[in-house]
Amino acid sequence: MVSTIQNTDVKQKDADRAVVVAVTSRAVFESGADGDDVYGMGVAFPLLQALQRVNERLLEENPAESLLFDVVLITTDSQQQQQSSRIISSTRHYGLEVSRFCFSSEEDFVESLQKNNVQLFLSTDRNEVPQASQKGVLSALLDRQEAPSEQLRVMFCGDAVNRPDAGPMPASRQAAQSFSAQLGEMRQRFGMSDSPLSIVLMTSHGGRESCGGALRTLRSRGVNVDEAYCLAGAPLSPILSVVRPHFLLSDGFSGLED
Amino acid sequence: MCEVKPNNSAPTEDIGAERDWAATKAFFDSLKTNKPRPPKPQYAVTIAVSSRTLFDMVAERKIYEDEGLEQYVAYQVEHENDPLMPGVAFPFVKALMNVNSRLRKLYPDSEELFDIVLMTNNHAQVGVRLINSINHYGTLKQTLLIKSCSSIAAATMFMTQTETLSETQLRVAFDGDAVLFSDESEIIVKQHGLDTFFEHEKEFENKPLAQGPLKCFLEALGKLQRKFYAKNERMNCPIRTYLVTARSAASSGARVLKTLRSWGLEIDEALFLAGAPKGPLLQKIKPHIYFDDQMFHIQGANEMGTISAHVPYGIGQKYHKGKLIEQPAKKE
Repeated sequence: MVSTIQNTDVKQKDADRAVVVAVTSRAVFESGADGDDVYGMGVAFPLLQALQRVNERLLEENPAESLLFDVVLITTDSQQQQQSSRIISSTRHYGLEVSRFCFSSEEDFVESLQKNNVQLFLSTDRNEVPQASQKGVLSALLDRQEAPSEQLRVMFCGDAVNRPDAGPMPASRQAAQSFSAQLGEMRQRFGMSDSPLSIVLMTSHGGRESCGGALRTLRSRGVNVDEAYCLAGAPLSPILSVVRPHFLLSDGFSGLED
Repeated sequence: MCEVKPNNSAPTEDIGAERDWAATKAFFDSLKTNKPRPPKPQYAVTIAVSSRTLFDMVAERKIYEDEGLEQYVAYQVEHENDPLMPGVAFPFVKALMNVNSRLRKLYPDSEELFDIVLMTNNHAQVGVRLINSINHYGTLKQTLLIKSCSSIAAATMFMTQTETLSETQLRVAFDGDAVLFSDESEIIVKQHGLDTFFEHEKEFENKPLAQGPLKCFLEALGKLQRKFYAKNERMNCPIRTYLVTARSAASSGARVLKTLRSWGLEIDEALFLAGAPKGPLLQKIKPHIYFDDQMFHIQGANEMGTISAHVPYGIGQKYHKGKLIEQPAKKE
């Protein structure tokens, strides 16, 4: 069963223009002792704060801005569903800019994502991410970060290994294209330095042609990346520890270099 | 700027990294060109160069300084199909690539090669022009573009007008004290004078000097040189190393040679100047790069057309032409 509750503490976003990002409540909150009314801060907490800061800066530039992040908190199993009141009260307690809560279970959480027009789904669960992605929802895995940056950092992997395409463009590729275009547009609202949002391109195995091609492709979609890393087989973790992206999008980004 | 990699891969090797490497190998194998793929990083000698040393970006730099970041990037994007002119490190990098192609012929399956990494603070949009420029010259194989440079001890290269350098032999020249060796002896010269220095070096002739910041690079070069010797290519070796030191052979030179020997390192030519200016000798050697810790020597070498690289290490940074640089009193 899927139910959606609006957070009355927060102004609702423009449904046509906002970038809907769904984050699992398990990623945002950490279960503390059973007695507590309020959860502890989870892995995705710094990410939510970074999204919020982007919104604040966007509204500073233009108080009538409608291209904002619209954050939805989603439960993805029945157990979490039982905790709905705690999830809502914890959200309010921290003053998180979450506009809606979706309560769903394992069977129907993807449906819930689709119904809510979610453009990006973020979870700490390794099973949920491919499940959503197979149904065409752009998804990424969240991990605990050492020293998360205040600036929102999104990393695109430009030459992700291609799954064999069956027929027309896979839905997640399309989702990736539109999400990246929106992100690119958001990025343009700020100058080159002092931006609350940074877009990073990484190509992992191709040579500089892959990277150059990906740079140009993204540019043609209105995405001017800030940083580019052409690894050509070099290990990824040193770069990740320097760049500290909040999440890495590879799903749907294969073939950028073409 | 480099580390000597162990011969065996570490037992805790990342499985994910192996998989990425396998994907890279497969990717390059599937390419229909003859372009070689980059070497596996943990076996290679990694050399990082900045975009401004690889290419001449003096005019662009002026735009950045006069008109700001946005205009600078816009200019670069507007001109991204105009290849940049070669910079001061270009001959050096070409010489490294030449060594790689000679090594590949002799050892087709080895990953012990130079791995050239481009590290730049430049905005990623400038990356397109950098990539186009690299493609234009067609000689460089591997780049890694990075936005923010981490603080690795490195050498600063200086622009100069040079004559044509060898395209078949990489020549690397090193100063001795505070470059290959620690600055321990240089401290003695600066603080106690030359006579004390000579006495000290004679007394401790058999005690190896401590290593300096570029010792590992000499070591890496030596390792690659031995690969040529093993295939009978000593006379035709595409790497040649030089020591150019103000020490004199008679009085303080022995300690240097004995130190190198104790490290198991060879240097092809050791030149003891006994205090004479380094410029004229370097002009004859024509190295692709000359490492020195003292700006005074760098400037002298530069004036005579030698590509020099300043190693910002040791007591030499506090002195100019033998005189202690007055530091303003630090405010607490």
